[in-house]
Amino acid sequence: MPLIEVSELVKIYPGDVQAVNDITFSVEEGEIFGFLGPNGAGKTTTIRILVTLLAPTSGRAVVDGIDVMTNPEEVRKRVGYAAQFIGVDDDLTANENLVLQARLHGLSKTEAGKRSNDLLEILQLTDAAHRRAGTFSGGMRRRLDLGQALAHDPRVLFLDEPTTGLDPQNRRALWTYLRELNERGVTIFLTTQYLEEADALTRRLAIIDQGVIAVEGTPQALKDDLGGDAITVTLAAGMDGSEVDRVAGLIGQYSDAGTARTYDGAVRVFTRDAASRLADVVRALDSAGVHVARLEVSEPTLDDVFLRHTGAKMRVEEVKQRSRMMSARKPR
Amino acid sequence: MMRTFRESVVLWGRLMRKIVRVKLLLFFALFQPLLFLLLFSQVFNRLDQLPGFAYDSYLQFLVPSIIALTALNSAFQSGIGMVTDIEDGLLDKFLIAPIRRSSILFGKVMADATRMAMQALVIVGVSLLMGARFETGVLGVGMMIVLAACFGIAWAGLSNVIALRTGNGELTMMIGILITFPVLFLSTSFMPSALLPSWLDTVATFNPITYIVEAVRALVNTGWDWDAIGKAFGVTAGLAVVTFTAATAAFRKVIS
Repeated sequence: MPLIEVSELVKIYPGDVQAVNDITFSVEEGEIFGFLGPNGAGKTTTIRILVTLLAPTSGRAVVDGIDVMTNPEEVRKRVGYAAQFIGVDDDLTANENLVLQARLHGLSKTEAGKRSNDLLEILQLTDAAHRRAGTFSGGMRRRLDLGQALAHDPRVLFLDEPTTGLDPQNRRALWTYLRELNERGVTIFLTTQYLEEADALTRRLAIIDQGVIAVEGTPQALKDDLGGDAITVTLAAGMDGSEVDRVAGLIGQYSDAGTARTYDGAVRVFTRDAASRLADVVRALDSAGVHVARLEVSEPTLDDVFLRHTGAKMRVEEVKQRSRMMSARKPR
Repeated sequence: MMRTFRESVVLWGRLMRKIVRVKLLLFFALFQPLLFLLLFSQVFNRLDQLPGFAYDSYLQFLVPSIIALTALNSAFQSGIGMVTDIEDGLLDKFLIAPIRRSSILFGKVMADATRMAMQALVIVGVSLLMGARFETGVLGVGMMIVLAACFGIAWAGLSNVIALRTGNGELTMMIGILITFPVLFLSTSFMPSALLPSWLDTVATFNPITYIVEAVRALVNTGWDWDAIGKAFGVTAGLAVVTFTAATAAFRKVIS
């Protein structure tokens, strides 16, 4: 039986804003499962429903066999949640923050202290254990926040954009922690708007856009589905749409799918035989007198997958921390 | 019941730790009432010479008012703290823990009450140094502190309503000041009932602060006035029912 089972989940906020529009998916025990999508796709809404902070409009969500609507308290015992915006008490030390969270999950004072020590060590915060969280760097705060989510040794960890706002070095370090946690048996559900994060970290992912799951699978399978390597022709600046379409018509036949894809002044074909097809593409472009700015052969990326299934390029935007009073009432 | 208590104590511990941890905040929480005590008692020092002023000194008359004023101010800190916790994502952390929702509220109320009691105790201590006498002794002081804390909690309900409805700490602070001052001056806090203009004296009888101040004033100056104490607790309970009903509704709306 899957650890997380979501079926026909719908969330409509007041004002008729449909944040989640009939999504169904499941996560197996031991997986790292990811939701990849831009801001406003419905990622946070879904995660908040799963951790019992938000009631769905309709549909069902079950975690570890327990319905989030009918028995939220049992669900809370089993899940850890780190929100997109870090929630640590700046006036308390790292240790005090962790002990507080463990105590709220029913651990005794002694157990909580022990648990906090273990977590501080895992997260490499032992040296900073008795410093106030307000003095921490961004990466340390993230780790502490993650520690809070782990205070009660949950079966499932829900992470909402866990690396947003981190520099590349801290991001990679956090990926390593998450992989280690997963190896210790913690199932992880995460959301991200970073393609490379979804690629590097998740075993299986769903691409979500405008409240709908566009496609679901392992990162590799999703890329394989595109049909081999990509040949991308970027046209010289100033070419209008009709020129792009003309080029697409010229080289579409070299795609294994029979047609080319266009975006942002570029034309792209996917083929399993890029090496020999490249010569055909060059000849076709040359004889038609096309002004090419760049020609490139690459392995398909999740970017391409996203483009194919949503019809748009993945757009990444980091939202600044804003009033939660607002976000509690209005959809993100 | 035991469970709610245990959970509340954990959350109370966090808030107490914060009060003690942020030294400057602690300092001002205790210093501000003393400042009012010093200023008012000096400026109005000669009021005791007015005919119809029935107290030994203005200080004797003023101590209960400063205790009430402090409880009012302290109550508004409660709402601001609530907004801060929501904005810092800490409320979410409590909501995803397998604890009762009511524990979050009780823990907060307990911390507010503790802070208010500490403040009242400091006011009593300093006014003793300034030469005030407490007619009902240690027990009377204990009763004053309980009254101040209970009234402060009832008022904190109001501050939480405003804070949760506006979602803005600064605005809550401003509204708080705007409410606090008229409420204080439209009571018998700074002038005995007999010396107030008659319209104001009438208004004062509808003001809950008047009842708290009068009960404490009796404890300081004349003795155990059970009638006044009863009224003070009655008014406090009534106020608490209203403010906490509204606060709970506002809280539910924010967390749903």
